[in-house]
Amino acid sequence: MIYLDNAATSFPKPKRVYERMDRFLREEAANPGRSGHRLSVGAESQIAQARNVIAKLFGVEHPERVIFTLNCTDSLNIAIKGVLREGDHAITTVLEHNSVLRPLHSLEANGKITLTKLRPNSDGFIHPNDVKAVMGPKTKLVAMTHASNVTGIVQPIREIGKLVRETESLFLVDAAQTAGVIPIHVESDFIDLLAFPGHKALYGPPGTGALCVGERAKLFPWREGGTGFDSESLLQPIRFPFALEGGTPNSVGIVGLKEGVEFILEEGMDKIRAHEQGLVKQLRSELKEIPSIRIYGTQDVSRSVAPVSFTVEGAEPQEVSLILDQSFDIASRAGLHCAPLMHRELKTFPQGTIRLSPGYFNTAGEIQTAVRAIREIRSQIAV
Amino acid sequence: MTDISRYHRQCLFQKIGEEGQKKIASSRITIVGCGALGTVLASTLVRAGVGFVRIVDRDFIELNNLQRQVIFSEEDIRDNLPKAVAAAKQLKKINSEVQIEAVVSDVNFTNVEKLIRDVNLVLDGTDNFETRFLLNDACVKLGKPWIYSAVVGCHGLTLSIVPGKTPCLRCVFESAPPPELTPTCDTAGIIAPASTVIASLAATEALKFLSGNEGDLNPTLYSYDVWTRETKSFHLEGLRDATDCPTCRHQRFEYLSGNLAPKTTTLCGRNAVQITRPDRITLDFKELESRLKKVGEVKSNSFMLQATTGGYEFTVFPDGRAIIKGTNDPAQAKVIYSKYIGV
Ligand SMILES: Cc1ncc(COP(=O)(O)O)c(C=O)c1O
Ligand SMILES: [Zn+2]
Repeated sequence: MIYLDNAATSFPKPKRVYERMDRFLREEAANPGRSGHRLSVGAESQIAQARNVIAKLFGVEHPERVIFTLNCTDSLNIAIKGVLREGDHAITTVLEHNSVLRPLHSLEANGKITLTKLRPNSDGFIHPNDVKAVMGPKTKLVAMTHASNVTGIVQPIREIGKLVRETESLFLVDAAQTAGVIPIHVESDFIDLLAFPGHKALYGPPGTGALCVGERAKLFPWREGGTGFDSESLLQPIRFPFALEGGTPNSVGIVGLKEGVEFILEEGMDKIRAHEQGLVKQLRSELKEIPSIRIYGTQDVSRSVAPVSFTVEGAEPQEVSLILDQSFDIASRAGLHCAPLMHRELKTFPQGTIRLSPGYFNTAGEIQTAVRAIREIRSQIAV
Repeated sequence: MTDISRYHRQCLFQKIGEEGQKKIASSRITIVGCGALGTVLASTLVRAGVGFVRIVDRDFIELNNLQRQVIFSEEDIRDNLPKAVAAAKQLKKINSEVQIEAVVSDVNFTNVEKLIRDVNLVLDGTDNFETRFLLNDACVKLGKPWIYSAVVGCHGLTLSIVPGKTPCLRCVFESAPPPELTPTCDTAGIIAPASTVIASLAATEALKFLSGNEGDLNPTLYSYDVWTRETKSFHLEGLRDATDCPTCRHQRFEYLSGNLAPKTTTLCGRNAVQITRPDRITLDFKELESRLKKVGEVKSNSFMLQATTGGYEFTVFPDGRAIIKGTNDPAQAKVIYSKYIGV
């Protein structure tokens, strides 16, 4: 099988991730920090080390402000619902995934907040000045994606972060498509809340994610419960990470995630990015040669990440994707990719696009095979 | 109070008598599916005075049903009634003594046990193998006798199954036959006498069982063609011991686990559902195309076959996966799939 759906979750994972998780679950997986025995303390220390490597990767000064979550959706919900209060104004963009749009829309629909959604300019970028123009005294949060999971276009978050930092507002970045491939530094990028999944380009297993919480952000916890200390208090402790981490964590997953991040640190993000960029460039330029195929996003691969979206004239994206799977053994994804407003913007609503997202473990040969398959499908089914 | 005189002629029949009638009156049955077979079953058994009749069907009545589905009327279509509700309404007028429960739902692995747990007998009025195997699993598991019936064209089959005593449906059919061997009423048609005859035979089996004449149940898989009058009785003695049946020998209820049910995914924003079969098959596109050409427009290439019929549009792929357009409802999509492609 040729797996080209890394934007949904990366697959396969580096070998060390599997091995470490297996060993941890067999030999070390006591409940971290809940009991004083050696195994429990050991597990706690593994999780602390996972916090450390993630903090290192994203320039987070205090590792305890890295909160482990279930996935990027969970991180975004903790951030959005933890920050916004009655009467607040929030700003977002039409590029967003439903994990940003839905929490914001439900708050708006319940009459709690007001919401402004920005559109990109014709090149696909959100202009910092457009953000500035809609900021007001009630603006509490600017929440946006680092890169669209449909077009792959990377947004100028540093410029936007900088101007948000000059106000009382907080800047929340959804790094689902970039964490692990594009350098992100929460200080120099002026990010108050950085949400990302562990299971995509950080090579952790599904069911992992994290939220880095800057010191300007005051979050209300919405998941309260056991932390293993301070048990006499009937209120959630305010100390990080416990403030936002009630309950037994997914220690096996977190240890796998740590291994994934260490793989990146050892391999070098530059090398990973260069390889992916090479594949994306090849894919884009070869697809462009096929008649009646329309590619979205930018041909300037230095400004985009892995997801490559396209449509085949006269064919339903779902059908093309199914044929790729069943006749060519190629895993792709078709449809709206949970980003409905982006497709309205691209005029690909409601059928969506076919998305191929190469990862570090794909090869140029695989891309060639995929392009050949698409060529063949097009010649048979397109009008 | 029950007026036994309404069953006078039935009681006169010596195999039933007043004793048998009392047993019938204290019995409970579930009829799964209320179409060509189910309407005849329900009508016969409500008239016969079965104490409690549950009728389960998720569909609404369509004009092309009236040719064979007795008890429904044009008025029911105008009122847009679900089949189960229309049947209950009509049959209550015929016999107000019977307690009739209409359940508007598809039958699946999550609800089948609940639908049959409190009855003495289950009757099959369904139109696909998947549901029948599911019924078989549930009936064997709960030890409920059931009567299988199936009809297409001018020909039908029926079999009485008593778990623990007779072979079960999976002893007889190991797995669902491939789609090209299972014509459906929606592609091969059906004439009303075929379903009426088969349902009457099945209802007779029900009367035997419910009146205390279990020993008279027909032990064969019986096949009848109303057009040619060809009949066949397949003898099943020894089959129960001869087969390595997963259901009745190993008590492995694969259909009840839900793992053998087709997986459905609603395609966002598309008013379409994708269906993925649990089994790996290779569809015969030529055969499917000739079957579907009779009822709609079809085109195909080596990758897929597209057909338009009955307000639905579907695309079928070689391994049996399909995208059904025109509905967002997974259960509805499965119905369309089993009607036109087959399970
Ligand atoms: C841009 C973007 N945000 C959020 C998510 C949600 O991530 P998760 O599946 O980890 O909740 C995704 C993943 O599909 C994404 O692409
Ligand atoms: Zn059996």
